[in-house]
Amino acid sequence: MRSLTRVRRVDDHGLRLITLVDRPLDVCVDGRRVWTFWTLRDTDAVAGPLRRIGWPAPLLRHLHGRGRITVRDSASSTVHFDQDLSLGSGQGSIEVRNRHGVELGIDKSGKLVPTFAGRSDADIAALLDATEAVIGALQDTGIEPFLAYGTLLGAVREGAVLGHDSDADLGYVSRFTTPIDVARESFHVQRALADQGWRTTRYSGAAFKVLVSQDHATVGLDVFGGFLDRGRLHLMGEIGTEFREEWIFPLGSAELGGRPMPVPAWPEKLLEATYGPGWKVPDPAFRFTTPARTVRELDDWFRGTQPGIRYWERRAPRGRETVLRHPSVLARRAAELATELGAEVLDIGAGRGPDSLWLAQQGLSVKAYDYVPRALEPARLRGDAQGLDLEVRHLNLTEWRSVLAEGALLAHDPRPRVVLARHLLDATSKQGRESLARLCSMALREGGQLLADFHLREDAVDDEDDLDDAEWMVGRIDVDSLTTLLSRSGATRVTVKRLRRRSRPTVRLVGEWSCG
Amino acid sequence: MRLRALRPGASMEAVQRLERRVADVEADLSEVRRHNLRLAEVADVLQELLVPLASRDDAAVQEAVERFRKSL
Repeated sequence: MRSLTRVRRVDDHGLRLITLVDRPLDVCVDGRRVWTFWTLRDTDAVAGPLRRIGWPAPLLRHLHGRGRITVRDSASSTVHFDQDLSLGSGQGSIEVRNRHGVELGIDKSGKLVPTFAGRSDADIAALLDATEAVIGALQDTGIEPFLAYGTLLGAVREGAVLGHDSDADLGYVSRFTTPIDVARESFHVQRALADQGWRTTRYSGAAFKVLVSQDHATVGLDVFGGFLDRGRLHLMGEIGTEFREEWIFPLGSAELGGRPMPVPAWPEKLLEATYGPGWKVPDPAFRFTTPARTVRELDDWFRGTQPGIRYWERRAPRGRETVLRHPSVLARRAAELATELGAEVLDIGAGRGPDSLWLAQQGLSVKAYDYVPRALEPARLRGDAQGLDLEVRHLNLTEWRSVLAEGALLAHDPRPRVVLARHLLDATSKQGRESLARLCSMALREGGQLLADFHLREDAVDDEDDLDDAEWMVGRIDVDSLTTLLSRSGATRVTVKRLRRRSRPTVRLVGEWSCG
Repeated sequence: MRLRALRPGASMEAVQRLERRVADVEADLSEVRRHNLRLAEVADVLQELLVPLASRDDAAVQEAVERFRKSL
């Protein structure tokens, strides 16, 4: 059969192709897949059937040098383009690798990551070891884990991890039937794993990740909680569908890289619920089209505890980056106040910690909080090297457990404090703002102040260019409601000053708490 | 709202009223659903943190519980 797709050109701008059908195409460099796209879904029309697609930005950075570029159908392997090309600077050979030499590929969320296709057999074996060990640890907590999502697909369809995948996915169906119990169970399971020394990070009320460090890359094993209720399966991530208990239990077994792993009793049923009836056909660029009802349910029950996290994760330094030296105006004010009151400084939403570090360098006792504490690592290292009184701590204002536990510790150590919240209130949700007020009420029992700066979103601003909200801004702050909230949380005085800034309207707020 | 208000030829206003009500019901449902995670968190804190902490100082616990009881 003649192919209905022809790739006309591949160059620095991307690809041009003629097609009338929507097919997944793999783009390979020297025989190794680095990217997959769909010929209609992901491309732009030029004229008639002629279409074009640009390189993904993270991949483009690596496209310098010579290499053999092959474009093939992901499912049928039909080759549509196969030529030696010189791209970018044209110097040397094209290398799509990280700084440790690990081969990278674009994953289904558009990120350039170490995919399994680029990993050595030893790395894959280490991943399977980790998967088996995490399954064992999860079983010890009383749940029945099984392979899920891409990992289940790889085991059932190919008996191996999918080359284009980058994480391993585990799921379990709780014996509980309500979201509250499922969340409590997930907390319990994570705690049990953490107690055993596993590195974990939670990203919703029913899912967390177990991080396993290998030689040159960290692999994540996602643990998705789910439950059955009145004939419906809800599995964190993407699934909400009519389902029978006997399609899950008793668990069966499938081989992954030659090792038996637990899978649902009828894995095909879960794969169809996950990927649709076409799950047997490879599609490295698969995108979920989760029904709106399922998204609403899972959002309401379990999500909302990490507003803006992707932005802040992306901005966190990867190595030992230099911490900015200049303190903010608010940090200077905090230093004066803390010195005057003999107070400890809590820098909440400290980011990379330039203010925290500077405050500690002024001889103050400082706790730097962020929900991405990795961003604070360079500041912490520098603080340690300089013998400063700077402590870096994790705090998530949108998790009550985090706020109440930290608040309890602070309340247990009563002392005057200055709370610095620079562009924190505008970077968190309404719940996050309420939590900051609660934390202040617990931390400032011996008196102190909250110093906060935040942008306002306003409908009418003269300069249209400045109307765009920053990517990190969350929600809309009502200053009167915020003032009331702080007063109800024990502030004896709240002053609000609107600052004249060229860019966005900005507010400086000072909340005062008295001793006792 | 009566169904006959939605017969062919019914006013656009009736349809808009119904759309608003659906949006309201969705918002109400969402509000109730969001309590699940909060309640799970509080239960977890109670189980894991407050009870063991509190048990170390019986007098303080009794005082707090008594104060709370009186506030109900």
